[in-house]
Amino acid sequence: MNVLVSRLVQAVMVAVLIGTATFVMMRSLPGDAAWRIAAGRYGYDRVDAASADAVRAELGLDGPTLPALVQWLGDLARFDFGTSLVTGQPVIKEIVHQLGATVSLALAALLLSLLIGPPLGILAGLRPGGALDRALLVASTGLKAAPQFLIALVLIVLVAVQLRWLPAAGHGEPRHFILPALTLALGLSAVNARIARDAMARIADMPYWRFAQWKGLSERQTLLRHGLRGVSVPLVTYLGLQFVTLVEGVIIVESIFGWPGIGHALVHAIFSRDVPMVQGTALMLGLGFVLINAAIDLAVNRLDPRTAS
Amino acid sequence: MSLLKASNITVSQDGTPILEPVSLRLEAGEPLVILGETGSGKSLLAQAIMGTLPRDLAARGQVALGDHLLDAARPVGFRALWGRQIAVLPQEPWLSLDPLMRVQSQVTEAHRLVNGKPVAEARTQASADLDRLGLTGAGHRYPHELSGGMAQRVAIAAARAGGARIVIADEPTKGLDAARRDDVADLLLAELARGGGLLVITHDLALARRIGGQMIVLRKGQVVEEGPTAAVMAAPSQAYTRELIAADPENWKPRTKQAAGSAVLTATGLAAGRGGTRLFSDVSFDLSEGEILGVTGPSGCGKSTLGGVVLGLIDAADGVVNRADGLKATAFQKLYQDPVAAFPRHRTLARTLDDVARRHGQALGRIEELLPRLGLSPALLSRRPDAVSGGELQRLALLRLLLVRPSLIFADEPTSRLDPITQKQVIDLLCETARSEGCAIMLVSHDPALVSRTADKMLSLGTTAAKVDVTAPRVVGALR
Repeated sequence: MNVLVSRLVQAVMVAVLIGTATFVMMRSLPGDAAWRIAAGRYGYDRVDAASADAVRAELGLDGPTLPALVQWLGDLARFDFGTSLVTGQPVIKEIVHQLGATVSLALAALLLSLLIGPPLGILAGLRPGGALDRALLVASTGLKAAPQFLIALVLIVLVAVQLRWLPAAGHGEPRHFILPALTLALGLSAVNARIARDAMARIADMPYWRFAQWKGLSERQTLLRHGLRGVSVPLVTYLGLQFVTLVEGVIIVESIFGWPGIGHALVHAIFSRDVPMVQGTALMLGLGFVLINAAIDLAVNRLDPRTAS
Repeated sequence: MSLLKASNITVSQDGTPILEPVSLRLEAGEPLVILGETGSGKSLLAQAIMGTLPRDLAARGQVALGDHLLDAARPVGFRALWGRQIAVLPQEPWLSLDPLMRVQSQVTEAHRLVNGKPVAEARTQASADLDRLGLTGAGHRYPHELSGGMAQRVAIAAARAGGARIVIADEPTKGLDAARRDDVADLLLAELARGGGLLVITHDLALARRIGGQMIVLRKGQVVEEGPTAAVMAAPSQAYTRELIAADPENWKPRTKQAAGSAVLTATGLAAGRGGTRLFSDVSFDLSEGEILGVTGPSGCGKSTLGGVVLGLIDAADGVVNRADGLKATAFQKLYQDPVAAFPRHRTLARTLDDVARRHGQALGRIEELLPRLGLSPALLSRRPDAVSGGELQRLALLRLLLVRPSLIFADEPTSRLDPITQKQVIDLLCETARSEGCAIMLVSHDPALVSRTADKMLSLGTTAAKVDVTAPRVVGALR
């Protein structure tokens, strides 16, 4: 229960901080916001000084900063995210639409990373210093060090362009998931393979691991009954941090693969100075972070009775 | 027919023998005790018989178990016997249970997966096992919710659930106080009474005496003596065994009381707690030069906290500590339980000691002068802490304290990690130090026999109100 209360307080603080920070950042961006918004609405070819001035007057962009900030935070408290400056649609509606696409991509990536990383990590951790362990260290260090746009481009060049197995971009069919999800999953599994490896090596060195075998359990039974749960505790704990990697990756990967998700929307909103959209999207990501960490706290408490007491 | 017969078991590391040929027989209903100090090879012998030696060690010899004949050189062959023929009771039961699994499941799984019983029957059986060991209702707990003694009983239930008739216990009383030690002995004997065999590896003479049966005494990888435990303990035929038995605190000669010098410290009505729990209250005592105050009590009763209060490291919740006038704060020193942890690992001992001598303005000759008095060779100084034995390191720790010219040494279980013979040496030196340096000593120990034969007076902490200034033998009587 305490977990939930403290996370709720955290959520409120995150909302205020992100709300203020995005507001300040958007205000201090160089360039004429009215011009950019007009360009977003009418297209770059048809924008001129007159339409920019019309936008400026309509949105009150010249007004003082502080009242605007207070108004935005007040709207936030009433769960009113405002309307997009570009499309005129309520921000919440746009976000919900895009969030669905992002969450499905993120889940696919997460699932894929859990299929790749932990099994390899556990095998490596059972034989620390072995060939697999050393190979995995090199591979995961390399994958973690490579920027995600590079991994994405390499995958596109290899799989989509050279081999022509999968589409380079697009949305709507299951096969469109594979490349963006794989790009995200490789970065994630580089880390969770290391975590699983370290946890497994630590557990296999514990007296209870030996004792399970002395009781007469086979190697396999020992792993299934006394290894996996222990490995899952740090893995799940680390998911909270991996969510950051995921968000960062989603923004890049969605842009590269043309995925109509929240990351893609955020980038576009920034380009066209769609302040309510930027604020709403950043806020969603921030609150998502708190929500996921609350869920992880609960899951770890269930997995490890020692943390609950 | 013997339950287990091991012939000519040897262990070597890179071709160097570290255990000379040992043969032993384990009979049903008669325990076998392997007695030896650290480095005697007693644990290696047990591991060779179980097939659990570390990879860099090679064993030779035959082990006959019922109708199985096994080659000690091929440890893989032993695996099928674990749980089914041999039950191994781990050294640290609390760490040997999976922290994420309820304890009853840890017994049930052995019944089910090793013994092949159906789930329901395995559950019933596990529950019956726990009941028999006095753990009724504790099955749904997790290991961190058990006491050490309960964990040990769960471990023995789990170890035997696979149907093993032979129990091998390696140092089952490591770090336990006297009362818990006897509980473990009784638990092991109760298991033996259910049929099967019992092999106990220990350095603990009191445990060996209580277990009885047959005994093998090992020293430096060689068998020194063997025979019925009672006979060996009553009339050892070898010099080493005699020395070992003489080193048992039970057999120490009580120390003659010294005439006390001037007062060092007076404590009145002390009370302290930890984490909100009151550990002790109304503790009063005084200490004079050359006097030894024994402090006993079960683990967790606040012995170390009392030390912190006396040394001025922890504030007392109540009461006052009056230190004699003219004594510096550094005159109150502590001798730690684990000497290895009390020395910087990567520096030579000479450097560490020189630093202390210089800091406290001692002539450099002082170290050389103290070395022979503590039975230490000057050659040790060029080594690092991990290259000297535990007993030597504890004596070096004492030497380091003496460089500070202490008026009071709080010795917190200074010998609990040492072998009996080394323990006796260190305690003798501590007593000698009290006399020759004229410093007061507070000696903390979980071993009432040790304290009663060493201390001038006793302080017993624990559930009962602290007793003060009672003569040693009476308190020891009360503790039993």
